[in-house]
Amino acid sequence: MTTIIETTGLTKRYRGVTAVNDVSVALSGPGIHGLLGRNGAGKTTLMQLISGQEFATSGEVRVFGESPVENAGVLRRTCFIKESQVYPDGFKGKHVLKTGPWFFEHWNEELAQQLVADFRVPVNRVIKKMSRGQRSALGAVIGIASRAELTLLDEPYAGLDAVARRLFYDHLLADYTEHPRTILLSTHLIDEAAALLERVLVIDAGAIVIDEDADTLRGTATTLAGRATDVDAFASGREVLDRSRLGGLATVTVTGLTDADLAAAAAAGLELSPVSLQQLIVRRTGAPIEIEEAS
Amino acid sequence: MTAATLSTPADAAATPRPHRMFNAARLHTANPWTTLLLPWIIYAAIFALTYVIWQIVITNVGGVENLPPDAFRYNGGAYWALVYMLIAAVQAMNLTFRFALGMSLTRREYYLGTAGYFVFLALVYGTGMTLGAVVERATDGWGVGGAFFAAQLLYEVPIGQVWILWIVQFLVFIFLGAAVATIYVRWGSTGITVFFIGLAALVVGALYLHAKYDASQPIQGWFATTSLMEFAAWGVVFAAVCGVAGYLLLRRATPRA
Repeated sequence: MTTIIETTGLTKRYRGVTAVNDVSVALSGPGIHGLLGRNGAGKTTLMQLISGQEFATSGEVRVFGESPVENAGVLRRTCFIKESQVYPDGFKGKHVLKTGPWFFEHWNEELAQQLVADFRVPVNRVIKKMSRGQRSALGAVIGIASRAELTLLDEPYAGLDAVARRLFYDHLLADYTEHPRTILLSTHLIDEAAALLERVLVIDAGAIVIDEDADTLRGTATTLAGRATDVDAFASGREVLDRSRLGGLATVTVTGLTDADLAAAAAAGLELSPVSLQQLIVRRTGAPIEIEEAS
Repeated sequence: MTAATLSTPADAAATPRPHRMFNAARLHTANPWTTLLLPWIIYAAIFALTYVIWQIVITNVGGVENLPPDAFRYNGGAYWALVYMLIAAVQAMNLTFRFALGMSLTRREYYLGTAGYFVFLALVYGTGMTLGAVVERATDGWGVGGAFFAAQLLYEVPIGQVWILWIVQFLVFIFLGAAVATIYVRWGSTGITVFFIGLAALVVGALYLHAKYDASQPIQGWFATTSLMEFAAWGVVFAAVCGVAGYLLLRRATPRA
């Protein structure tokens, strides 16, 4: 498989702050991958380094095998949508959409128009007067309709309501299925996006702390539910990530279960269910990942 | 625009792509208001005001014949156009840089495209002002012996030279604006503050040296012996220096939120 993104020891330091710290990751072939982390963890900076918008302090980043910095050959195949995108004064949504096909060679106008209608983007409104959600929706339209071989989406749905977010996931997945490409999605809303994600990168204080397939990651822990006494008996002596109790019933999330353990748990009358990615990541990073309120 | 197949890595070689630079220039026209429409409205308004002032003066003195022939030849109204274009260049640069990078352009593509667009603007507005001067001369100064588009030094200059001088003046002001704008894009308001303090220090230093060594003779001599076309050539050099400086500054700039 072609390596799309490869970083080695990638580091970005600002005055006194190490925003990205010795990051070495590689993403290959098509897929939708998640870059998860708390606010200020370094998600945006990492994406800016990958898209050649920031200059690395040390280390290396290669996109399609080349440095992305000032590299038109790489950048024309890349689309980076960020929440903090600045638009020229007086620009309306339609002005931005007009420029899409100028820069993204796989741009699909029909898809763009459909997304505009579905997300209800007010294309005739000056962008400065749009709400945060409307600006996000405009970014999402460009991100999906550009069909860039590498699409970086940084918090693409900040401020979007639940309906619009659902639409976003559906459109992203539908278009991805038809036109497979590499999509790196950063988000706080881990559980919402979890079903889409193939690979999960978790960044904390600038460093990558988890880099695993989503399925593998989920498989590292299991939630067991049943009568409190049975649950407690089974969980004793195991690594418990989470525990809750309601009357005589209890659930625990335990890690490191073998197939034999799972069979034993089932035989003991416990109900097994996969653990939520969010819960797992919160536990594994040792600090709660901030959950953004849907507005 | 329905191509959906992914291109192979083979055609991703970093060859120059003139159409991307052209599209960078087009970015400035996506919303034509600031650089293509508003300036004409401003020039028209300034000209209209100037014309009304001429009429007031004529009414007050009881007719054109009571005025000295050069009464309306000294007029700086058209020069506001230059100042406005300087500001327009600053705005265009500052606002579109971050957007252009967001649309996956390289800094180089963006800057070259933008510089090309700025040259285009200088040609358009220089030609526009010259056409104004042509009409002005054909109508005997708008019927009142006035000079707006070719006033003062330009009053008796051949129209071809007027054309060149207008274009060069626009180039100088637009590229000066572009260079100042890149300082802002690169270092933010701190950079601008430092720049203007430095500039003020240079000017004061130059005045000090001028006073100390009494340079008025050679300076006046230089102005007296340099033709307008030589000035124009120096103007082109200055604009080019600003253009190169702008590129060097922008090459390492990053888009800030």
